[in-house]
Amino acid sequence: MPPFLSLNRLQKSFADHTVLREISLEVEPGEVLVLLGPSGSGKTTLLRLIAGFEQPDEGQILVANEDVTPLPPEKRNFGMVFQHYALFPHLSVAGNVAFGLESRRVPREERLPRVTEVLPLVDLEGFEDRRVQEISGGQQQRVALARALAPDPRLMLLDEPLSNLDPSLRERTRRELKSAIRRVGITAVWVTHEQEEAFDVGDRVALLNEGRLEQVGIPEELYLEPQSLFVAGFVGRASTLKGRLVAGDRVRLGDERFVGQGATWPVQTVGDLAVGQDVVVSLRPEGLELVEAEQPEALVGEIVERQYRGEVTYYQVSLEMGQELLVVGESDRAATGTHVGVVHRQSKRPARAFPLPAEETE
Amino acid sequence: MSRRRQSIGGATLVLVLVWLVGYPLLITLLEALGLPGAFSLAPFLEFVGRADEWRALWQSLWISAASVVLAGLVGVPLGLVFEGTEFPGRRTLGALIALPVALPPLVGVIAFLFLYGESGFVSRAVQTVLGLDKAPWRLSGPVAILLVHAYSMYVYFYLFTRAALVRIDASVLEAAASLGAGRRRRFVRVTLPLLGPALVGAALLTFMTSLASFSAPYIFGGGFRVMTTQIVASKLNGQIAMAQVETVTLALLALLGLWAMRRAEPGRTAVVGGVRGIAPIRRQLRRPAVRLGVAALGWGLALLLLLPHLTLLVISFVPPGTWTTEAVPPVLNGSNYRSLASTPERLRPVLNSLWMATAATLGAIVLGLSAARISVKRGGRLGGLLEILLSVPWALPGTVFAIALATAFSVSRPELGRFVLVGTPWILPMAYLVRSLPLTGRSSLAGLRQMDPSLEEAAASLGAGRLRRIWRVTLPLLRPAILAGASLAFITALGDFVTSVVLYTYDTRPISIEILSSLRLQDTGVAAVYGVLLMLVSATAFLLWGRERKA
Repeated sequence: MPPFLSLNRLQKSFADHTVLREISLEVEPGEVLVLLGPSGSGKTTLLRLIAGFEQPDEGQILVANEDVTPLPPEKRNFGMVFQHYALFPHLSVAGNVAFGLESRRVPREERLPRVTEVLPLVDLEGFEDRRVQEISGGQQQRVALARALAPDPRLMLLDEPLSNLDPSLRERTRRELKSAIRRVGITAVWVTHEQEEAFDVGDRVALLNEGRLEQVGIPEELYLEPQSLFVAGFVGRASTLKGRLVAGDRVRLGDERFVGQGATWPVQTVGDLAVGQDVVVSLRPEGLELVEAEQPEALVGEIVERQYRGEVTYYQVSLEMGQELLVVGESDRAATGTHVGVVHRQSKRPARAFPLPAEETE
Repeated sequence: MSRRRQSIGGATLVLVLVWLVGYPLLITLLEALGLPGAFSLAPFLEFVGRADEWRALWQSLWISAASVVLAGLVGVPLGLVFEGTEFPGRRTLGALIALPVALPPLVGVIAFLFLYGESGFVSRAVQTVLGLDKAPWRLSGPVAILLVHAYSMYVYFYLFTRAALVRIDASVLEAAASLGAGRRRRFVRVTLPLLGPALVGAALLTFMTSLASFSAPYIFGGGFRVMTTQIVASKLNGQIAMAQVETVTLALLALLGLWAMRRAEPGRTAVVGGVRGIAPIRRQLRRPAVRLGVAALGWGLALLLLLPHLTLLVISFVPPGTWTTEAVPPVLNGSNYRSLASTPERLRPVLNSLWMATAATLGAIVLGLSAARISVKRGGRLGGLLEILLSVPWALPGTVFAIALATAFSVSRPELGRFVLVGTPWILPMAYLVRSLPLTGRSSLAGLRQMDPSLEEAAASLGAGRLRRIWRVTLPLLRPAILAGASLAFITALGDFVTSVVLYTYDTRPISIEILSSLRLQDTGVAAVYGVLLMLVSATAFLLWGRERKA
């Protein structure tokens, strides 16, 4: 299937600050793509470029093979859901939902039926005459979605739609927005800075960092096969250790000065790495295991912190060679202060070796 | 023990405020009804039966309504241009054209007179160009009053429009755009409805200011009477009972306006979503021709609006008797300023105004702040009563208070709290203080309400007593609010004309009265000098206020 939305080498700067560098992305029809990234990564700017509120310095935005880059927002026929809802305070729920129909010159007698058709999609039937100030935050956000859906847009854009809600409401509203979008089957781009939200609602997730696209893929790919150290660190929990590649798939961890305290573990390498090169290894807590300190190929250290999570417990281990590791184990295995060894179980979760970040190679 | 002391302090404060604000009004109402003697409706019946009274009432109302329309026609487009677009000089000009609101009304009126009056610059220019042997028009009657009103009151619409535009969440406009609404539809369906409450507020404020307006009808009205000038005329003619009845009527009208304003207070445009987004960005004008056009229009309008005040400055440099038939004044020098500085008789009004305004402002700060603090801390009925007492002098025209004070304090009945103050140096500062109370009191109220109450609690938990808390926490935090209110209070008192004209004595004559008598003596240059002085002090205080408010 040809992509429905394509972004071609989009570039954007504000004053002399580059916010987006050469972003290229494709979204399939009916797909929900999540733009994930820390604040300042450029995800909201990217969404605003797609919406037409900002113009790219370079690059193109294509929708169904039509170049929409020069079009103003009102001519793009996209729906948008805003972080702070942006409901019209002077209009009722029905007035808000009908606004886009009115703008597109839908005759008056067809507007109300459309409103009553859309409100049930977001579980708000019967709310037509309510004032938007009178309803709860979660309901306001659903009105915002209904308003965006009513004119039957080609594409739905959502800018951190849950960030303004109480934590207690957030998960429920997330399920409701997600199921409404699935029911309609509309293509959507959803911006968030929360990894859990991204993995839950996104068919695919695009991870942005400092204006660059770090990786695009289904959630499993991002978690299991991170293509960069940033992805490995931003998605899920991970610890990193410095080491040296001693074979194509083995890394020596620890400093040579601490002979006997290091270990050689199997790794998957990412990118072009040569034997003998210094690397950074990213390790998921579930790929590590606490053992007796004397066990072969174990890194030795002391448990400095214990986070009990019910079914499992996380242990922060301070290694004698001077770095820290996060290990997950069954509960009540060990107390803080215990002298332990940590070994790697590749079968559970492979370690991944990355080139040293540029600033550390010098 | 200290709780009890506080209650006593609170009660004393309420009594003082009632005595200053409520009591004179009550006495005026009672005397209008013939009390404490025999109850009589005769003056009211006479009022109802007289055609000229009805005419003054009607003229007050329609002048006010027309002023609203005209001021709106000038102020709203100005607000839209200055807040909605970006062009060279926008910030400076934007601040300058708000200035007329800070200048004493009388200064605006005489400035207008010097520019558009019979012997003003414009009419002389027209006369010269057309070769007429007399002035082309006489600046008088309702047209003149309306022009002056529109010229000074557009600022309300201008400021309210700008403030409301800033409050609009940019994403609401973006939402409309993403729903297919183009620029025009966004303006008509989103921006304008969101401006609605602000425009209603500005309209009511203009209406009430216009209803209370005295300087313009007094100078330009001639035979055309509105309620304020009718009241003063009755008083001067010795028809005290009639003046009291007129005062009560005007007060009722103003209270009706206050009630309408309270009801119109915005609730409709409350922000949805808890957090307010960022204000819409100003439209960058890209095409150089458009940019130049808008800039020229903005500068042109600003110049037109500030021209009267520039004229005042020029006239102040015209020596007496030198400008007769020429189109422009032949001589300009500083002789008027020198004469003012060297003649004690002419300097006297300046000193009078300064000390009376200072005393009134200090009193208003102390009273206003104390009342606001008790009102916020205690709340309830006492708080509500204090708040009303702090608002009433703002809603009632100055003329009403002037007559009320003249009525209450021209009789010696110490057991009833009435003393003879009319004719003494105390009555004017007292009148200024009453009129300033809302400015200091309401800004203190606003400041106190914004203050996090846990700050004072934190100070208390750190061992600070009541006085130390006020001195070290409350006052420093309230400084901007207090200064803002105080500078406006000072400006109002310094330029006051409407209460002064009823209550002044020769020894306490303030600047405004001296301006009037200079005009009567054809001493326009000196009148202009006084006007320039008022303008400078007021503008300084206003700009100071702006800076503090931003801080």
